[in-house]
Amino acid sequence: MRALLLAALATVPLRAVSAQGTAALYGSVRDSSGQPLRATVRVVNGDGVGVADAQGRYRLSAPGGLVIVRVGLLGFQSLVDTLTLAAGDSVERDYRLGPAVVPLEPVIVTAAKHSQLLSQAVTSVALVSDTDVARRAVTTVDEAVDKAPGVQFLNGQVNIRGSSGYVQGLGSRVLMLVDGVPANQGDRGGINWDLIPLEDVARVEVVKGAGSALYGSAALGGVVNVITREIPSGFHARVRALGGAYANPPFDVWRFRDYTGALEGLDVTTSYGTAAARGSYTAGGWHSDGYREQDRRNHWQTAAKAQWIPTPETRVTTSGSWASDQYETPLIWCTHGSCDDRGQDFQPFMIEASGRGAFTRSDKGQLAATVEHHASERFAWQARGSWGRTDFTDFQPTGDDWGVANRYGVEFRGEVHPTGDRVVTLGAEGSFSDVRTNIFTGDANPTSNVVRTHDQREFAAYAEGERQLGRLRLVAGARIDHLDVDGGSLATVLSPRLGVVLPTARAGVWRASAGRGFRAPSLAERFVSTFVQGIPVVPNPDLDPETAWSFELGNAATLSSAVRTDAALFWTEAYDLIEPTVDSGRIQFKNVTHARLAGLDLAVTATPPVAGLTTTLSYTFLHARALAHDSVSERPLAFRPRHLLTLGADYQRGVIGVGGDFRYTSRLDRVEIYETDPRVAEKVLDLRVSAVWGAWTLRAQLANALNYIYSQVPRTLAPVRTFAATITWTY
Amino acid sequence: MANRLSRAALAALGTIIPLVGAAACNEGLQPTPLCPERFVGICGRVTFQGTEPDSTEGVLVVAYPRFPQSRNDLLTFQPFPPPPSLARPFRGSQIYALPLSTGRYEWVVAVWKKVGAFAPGFSNADSLLKEAGFYRDQTDPTAPGVVVVHDSSTDSVNFVIDFGNLHPICTYFPPCP
Repeated sequence: MRALLLAALATVPLRAVSAQGTAALYGSVRDSSGQPLRATVRVVNGDGVGVADAQGRYRLSAPGGLVIVRVGLLGFQSLVDTLTLAAGDSVERDYRLGPAVVPLEPVIVTAAKHSQLLSQAVTSVALVSDTDVARRAVTTVDEAVDKAPGVQFLNGQVNIRGSSGYVQGLGSRVLMLVDGVPANQGDRGGINWDLIPLEDVARVEVVKGAGSALYGSAALGGVVNVITREIPSGFHARVRALGGAYANPPFDVWRFRDYTGALEGLDVTTSYGTAAARGSYTAGGWHSDGYREQDRRNHWQTAAKAQWIPTPETRVTTSGSWASDQYETPLIWCTHGSCDDRGQDFQPFMIEASGRGAFTRSDKGQLAATVEHHASERFAWQARGSWGRTDFTDFQPTGDDWGVANRYGVEFRGEVHPTGDRVVTLGAEGSFSDVRTNIFTGDANPTSNVVRTHDQREFAAYAEGERQLGRLRLVAGARIDHLDVDGGSLATVLSPRLGVVLPTARAGVWRASAGRGFRAPSLAERFVSTFVQGIPVVPNPDLDPETAWSFELGNAATLSSAVRTDAALFWTEAYDLIEPTVDSGRIQFKNVTHARLAGLDLAVTATPPVAGLTTTLSYTFLHARALAHDSVSERPLAFRPRHLLTLGADYQRGVIGVGGDFRYTSRLDRVEIYETDPRVAEKVLDLRVSAVWGAWTLRAQLANALNYIYSQVPRTLAPVRTFAATITWTY
Repeated sequence: MANRLSRAALAALGTIIPLVGAAACNEGLQPTPLCPERFVGICGRVTFQGTEPDSTEGVLVVAYPRFPQSRNDLLTFQPFPPPPSLARPFRGSQIYALPLSTGRYEWVVAVWKKVGAFAPGFSNADSLLKEAGFYRDQTDPTAPGVVVVHDSSTDSVNFVIDFGNLHPICTYFPPCP
């Protein structure tokens, strides 16, 4: 009876339509990767017109008979569909739009701290779009950014044109922002890539080269800005389930377990928005068995974002995220004699027996609030405050290390347009970091187990002006930072930047820039007091900031409608780089190295004459040298590959997409410690496939499909072949 | 012009992709047995300490069936002729494999060789050769360890080569010149 009633109710609208001699047309509009589009769906030979909602869904009335439908959206190829409708019909048609042949130029917000066209940036910027992120069945932001041109991750530590090398996560020379808010750790200066749920990421902007003229410390090698999604109007939800498996070792003599490692996870996102207020919430977690011995990991995370738009000119945004990890720590791999080595020189899937039982609990969170106000066409301002917190404990057989750190930050920024051809960005920024710990104590005796608190303050002011002179766009600015560390040194750093952009009719857009970057030593580098493999590590509170001058000459050109290129020559002179040095039987962080990093960055995007096929090529040549100092002669800078090549291809046909990436990284010329261990070039092939059915999207990825066994840093096995699949339901 | 460039770029992509794909078939890290298959002799890991002297010509590992009792016995090492030097750089550690006939060996020793030629009768051996480290007895680290080679390899003959603690021949057979 109830079913009959429902059926009767369901037919009422159709009968109404039928009575008017019209039919109903409904369905969805999505892009080639399955993302919903707010496209316009119009009946060309009638009055029906509709705009798809934030989920890409549309519904409109059309006259009976032959109907011509045009679906369009700026930046995408229009689509014309012809169908025959009978009066009273209710027909579902799902449409998929490919990118426009001449795509719209992207707008970026990171290179100049305000919105600008990509071609107006004076430095190189790599973009990772939500489509790029969605294509890969990955779980964290770093996995999505890993293949960006000129970007390389070494065991989780990001390098932009060889900036950071590898120092076990301490003191990143890349600044991470989340929606423009600095998010590097307060104590170690590293980056928590798993702090932001990947599902919340709209795009990532990677600014290459020194960015301290606007961003201050840590932006010595570049800036990575993770921009989260705008919250759409209405109620929406998204559920994503993840499942996968790790390949077993390719040789029996390396087998370390009698089962296949798996990974699984679940994320849920909901949002609700009106014109004046919007909010979103994400929660989820995943578990991984890992691909080597003692490598299991549990990850839980939650994030929320709320926006209040009291007037069209004012927006208040608050956001917060929290993540908790409990993971086993696979310290260095087993070498002969340090485990059951089965007669092998090394066992890359197994760890040294002395490291068994080590695990870490790591909690981290970030809260941020931003107020943006467009006072007039000539003036806008933004104020923000943030609080980041990390709390980790390394449980080790030889004794536990722990630290609880906070990083508070405030910034006020103004954007002035005195005339149509000028922009001035100016602001002031302050931050306070502290850590309470038993490892970054500053105690000269590492055997003691004292607990101490240290803090660091940074104050800064900056201004940068842009002016259009004919076709030429000039940029000049500077920032001054004052650093104050308890028990340590004071320092003041001036970071200027000059740049120019020149569009030409036949030779693309030329850009040139020179800027200074710096990085303040992290509290960990100043005050660490511990043992590493039996060797004492002693503090050095008087460390000075690292500095660098970066120069770049670049060109972006559209060779034809099918081929676009972006090339840059870069040169960085870095001074006082902080490195761990072994002296008199102990390790201490010191300002030692004068380094030179020069090279070429090239990115080519080609759309061959095959509908739906897109190919990319990026190549970085890097000449990285540690120049002679004291009694040390010139030598390669450790952990910098000379060649970095990435090839990518994606093909979309209907609802099915296939693609892949290949990354080649040349064998590292030099590594720190275990220099004589065998090491090889990195050759990693990732394959992927996707399919979309209405609200369901299935993606699968086979990372390191060749199961190529290699290490990026000594005695640490890089990920083996991993199959991962996600299925997403979107409402 | 632009069309030519784009065709060239597409052709380059079409060429590079298969080449790189082929290159990717090269294998990465492989299992590295301490002793090669069907190897008869001793294998192990030597760990370097100290700074290599500027005058270093090489470092080689040899074994003595009986601990030398006199200077003359120093020529009874095996294998003969001696193996090539360990591979440079002499930092960190490396594995070695020393082919030996089956039997008992009382002294497995690393010999540091200074740059220079031997005089007739090895009269200048004192200045050109120094003991740089040896395999030690597991219960008494001050004494040399005995190694027995069977029909197959004997592994885990590990020891330290200390460039900061080189011993000339006369340390064992005084007087020193």
